[in-house]
Amino acid sequence: CGAPPINHGYVLAENALDQVPVGSSREQVMLVLGTPSTTSSVAGSTFYYISQTIDESPLWGREITDQRVLAVYFDDEGKVRQIANYGLKDGKVFDFIERKTRTSGAEVSLIGQMLGSVGRVSPF
Amino acid sequence: CSSDEPLEPFVEIPAEVSYNAGIAYLQQGDYKNATKKFEEVDTQHPYSEWARKSLILTAYTNYTRGNFTEAVTSAKRYVTLYPGSEDAAYAQFIIGQSYFAQIPDVTRDQDMTKKAMDAMSELVQRYPDSPYAGEGRKKLDVARDQLGGKEMEIGRYYLNRRQYIGAINRFRVVVTEYQTTRHVEEALERLTEAYYAMGVVDEAQTAAAVLGHNYPESRWYKDAYKLLQTQGLEPRENTSSWISKAFRAAIL
Amino acid sequence: GLPGIGAAPAHAESVSRITVSGNTRVEAETIVSYVTIKPGRPFTSIDIDDSIKALFATGLFSDVQISRAGGALQVRVVENPVIARVAFEGNDRHSDTVLGATVELQPRSVLTQAKVQSDTQRIQELYRRTGRYNAKVEPKVVDLGQNRVDLIFQIDEGPRTEVSRISFVGNKAFSDGRLQDVIATKESGILGWLKSSDNYDPDKLNADQEALKRFYYNHGYADFRIISAVADFDREQNAFFITITVEEGEQYVYGDINVETTLSEVNAKDLLSLARTHKGDVYSAKDVEKTLEDITVAVAEKGYAFVQVRPRGDRDYAGHKISITYFIDEGARAYIEKINVIGNTRTRDYVIRREFDLGEGDAYNQVLIEKAERRLKALGYFKNVRVYSEPGSSPDRVVVNVQVEDQTTGEISVGGGYSTTSGFIAELSISEKNFLGRGQQVRASVGRGFSTDSSSSDTQTYELSFTEPYLFDRRLSGGFDVYRRQYAAGSDVIHPYEEVLTGGAIRFGIPVMEDLTLGLRYSAYQQEISDVQDDITKINPKLIPTGDSFVSSVSYTLTYDTIDNKLFPRNGIYAQFGQEFAGVGGDVSFLRTSVKADYYKELMSDWSLVGHVGLKGGQITGIGDDLRFIDHFRLGGDTVRGFASEGFGPRDKATGYLLGGQYYVAATAETLFPMPVIPEEFGLYGSLFADAGTVWSADSGTVDSSGATLQGDDAKLRASVGVGLIWQSPFGLLRADFAYPVLKEDYDETQIFRFSGGTKF
Repeated sequence: CGAPPINHGYVLAENALDQVPVGSSREQVMLVLGTPSTTSSVAGSTFYYISQTIDESPLWGREITDQRVLAVYFDDEGKVRQIANYGLKDGKVFDFIERKTRTSGAEVSLIGQMLGSVGRVSPF
Repeated sequence: CSSDEPLEPFVEIPAEVSYNAGIAYLQQGDYKNATKKFEEVDTQHPYSEWARKSLILTAYTNYTRGNFTEAVTSAKRYVTLYPGSEDAAYAQFIIGQSYFAQIPDVTRDQDMTKKAMDAMSELVQRYPDSPYAGEGRKKLDVARDQLGGKEMEIGRYYLNRRQYIGAINRFRVVVTEYQTTRHVEEALERLTEAYYAMGVVDEAQTAAAVLGHNYPESRWYKDAYKLLQTQGLEPRENTSSWISKAFRAAIL
Repeated sequence: GLPGIGAAPAHAESVSRITVSGNTRVEAETIVSYVTIKPGRPFTSIDIDDSIKALFATGLFSDVQISRAGGALQVRVVENPVIARVAFEGNDRHSDTVLGATVELQPRSVLTQAKVQSDTQRIQELYRRTGRYNAKVEPKVVDLGQNRVDLIFQIDEGPRTEVSRISFVGNKAFSDGRLQDVIATKESGILGWLKSSDNYDPDKLNADQEALKRFYYNHGYADFRIISAVADFDREQNAFFITITVEEGEQYVYGDINVETTLSEVNAKDLLSLARTHKGDVYSAKDVEKTLEDITVAVAEKGYAFVQVRPRGDRDYAGHKISITYFIDEGARAYIEKINVIGNTRTRDYVIRREFDLGEGDAYNQVLIEKAERRLKALGYFKNVRVYSEPGSSPDRVVVNVQVEDQTTGEISVGGGYSTTSGFIAELSISEKNFLGRGQQVRASVGRGFSTDSSSSDTQTYELSFTEPYLFDRRLSGGFDVYRRQYAAGSDVIHPYEEVLTGGAIRFGIPVMEDLTLGLRYSAYQQEISDVQDDITKINPKLIPTGDSFVSSVSYTLTYDTIDNKLFPRNGIYAQFGQEFAGVGGDVSFLRTSVKADYYKELMSDWSLVGHVGLKGGQITGIGDDLRFIDHFRLGGDTVRGFASEGFGPRDKATGYLLGGQYYVAATAETLFPMPVIPEEFGLYGSLFADAGTVWSADSGTVDSSGATLQGDDAKLRASVGVGLIWQSPFGLLRADFAYPVLKEDYDETQIFRFSGGTKF
């Protein structure tokens, strides 16, 4: 029960990959595939196009039902050296670290919030 | 609560009397009355040197009593009226401190943090050699750390929902724009986790390598290392990756 | 060159020194620091202008003159006076502190004519906003010498301006009264002094026009237009006459509905089934919106993330039909670069972000963004929500900004009321809808009931409940309740024993489909029965066994709820089916099944007549041992009006104590209408109703073991007809019912008049 699975991230158009064979330029890739979901170097030496389908069910939680990472590697002249495809099977499943770096800033105080509403008589 | 009776007649109190009364209250720690006295001087004798001193002390007492809005108003008036005086730096510092004290936790709008940063950077810029510039620089770092913390909070939100694009791009911002904050270690470890979860192992290794290279003792590096170990992978720095480039470009 | 008087020659020159005059309070050195001209350095007239502008910008001076005399640059200033005190005279409606916070000029700040004018405007605006259009504000400046002044605002508030008449012109389909319910601005009328909603506020009137448009669009009037909304102010009567002229146009029904698409793999036919707009039904903008959303989600699911669904309506003016074609094609391929949450001073970022199905990096889809905006507004945590997009860092990237303004969602309310079943009730409750900005709901309440006559019993209730709408970060609500309820022994027939319930429950809410939720619940409580009325124990001590029992049960309920307004329903269905199995441990075990359905429909809309039919029933059987009498179903006044609270059902002949039955069924039919004569803004409604119901089959095992003498276990139908009076008073909803039982048994307990009501203030 619950909502249908939702597609996230990059949407690959049909036969788009044929237009960016090995050797095509970075601008060509940007033109055909569009801006990458994320890039792997300041000079953008690898483009990553990430697509996912995530199904969220109230009882069994969130589950990635499909995931594809298109990695476009460039050589030093900025030409496509290789295109790799990572599927869902390449992904690893593990728990992320719970701990987080401490930050400062005033928490919402319960008293503050409650007092805020003392003055507020429920309007007719 | 209407004030129909006419304004009571204007009582003239010599400036020094109110000023010294204010100082006396200050020494007793009675900031409430001290503020009243200093405001009295400023109202009745807006010409005197006493007025200038009282104005800065009004800002100080309001700040210590936690009325940050009044503190900022009086401090701003001081900076406009007496930009050259030796207390101007202190007034600017009080403006920064007042905003600083109202910074909310990272899950809420960081508008106050930005205001604090602007005030402190103006302090550091206009009065670089004032005694408060050092503290100002420290507070700038804390405010920047707070903004970095907000990026991390949103990054973790997307990571926990396994929406890796949102996560990676948020952690990226921390690594490139908040390098001097404490969050950069965790950001690198989270990048290792995100890339590794997607199976893009070489990026994961690079993130972990840069983390190890720059923060060998960090607990985050131990976590990243342990994670890669689960599949027998050594953290290997792919020097062309943006992470190592971002670091070589920085002063680290 | 000639000594320039003001108009310095254009070519550059320099001065040897700068003299400052006219300043008393501001130091010369400060003034010089704002002047861009430095001694010995060449300057032009532009520098002079810049300096003058800079000095004016400080707001410290009312006049600045810069001129060259010989080798020196002369800067003459006239300082603005400093305010010693700001005072308000003649203000009654608003305190000095409120006015002090409204005006910009504060003690010790600099007085400028511009600021005095703007502050006068602000005070005027404050009075106008709070309903006093005749207020006059006069600023008075008292000179104290040495360039110091007192600033006094003399205020003549004038009487309260009322909205004496709101009239609609051109409305045929809906009555003035019905339309007045739609808008927020209310007529004053005699209760005006109580209400604040009758202040005239231009923004509110604009919002009202939007509300009217949506109301008509949702009731089939696609061509509805507001010709004018005029508020003319009558100075003598000090009141506003608001006239809203509308052109309703015709009510449209849907003509042909079809779906067209340019996308190859999308089958238009099976998307048609998703459309909520069916041929022949009355047109409603809300249905069209919902259809867009459902089709978008369905097509997006097939991989067309950039799907764009646009409706096109072709009107058949003669036949008053609108046929709608949903065009499905692919919009621009753009992705969300960032979602920025702005303005959340209390609600936490994730509570807002999680309402978006889309995340950063996902395909930008306007319909899904609007869906998230509607969800955020429905939370009730914000005064206003605005979602707007901006171009991102590259052509195919969009930044989505979510601007919210938090509002107080906590409420401390004291409730009082009277009901003939439990006498006077008083309740103090603290509730918070957005606890610590985490979106959680918390409610704690203490209640006390005082019995007025023998027929009602003393009650004491203490309750605490907590709900997390997003348990484990999913759309799964979870929560717990903890309570203690104590009912003192009432008269011999109604609840003739003291009962104390102490316990709690853990509950989950799972959204199954739109408007349909599945509720799971584990409940456990200790039930102490004691001090049974002696005229019962005298005759049959075994009838009501005393002592403690622990009841532990699991239950599920399926609830379908499309009621439009919980306080005063006009349209919608509320249907619920549930089963509770007690016996998961504990001393009592039974299986209780209950079903309930209420259907509300606005009948003749121009009369704002509402029809309501309701049906409910239940079955309970003891599992493994006989069902205790206290667990049997009993029916009374709150189900079939005209009868006492435990008015009828199988009864013990000897003591008259109501045993109850294992089955019950009840039905009601009611029409609600605004009281004809009295103007509608009073909020007085009448109701004609008929109730019927019966309860039967006491557990024979329990009857034998308790030695009760069964009477009236024959499923005879009880029915009543009656009239009700409902008042939506400024204090809360009050209802009085007069019901005459038409079908009853002579041993039933009847109660013609019932009153219930309560207020939160």
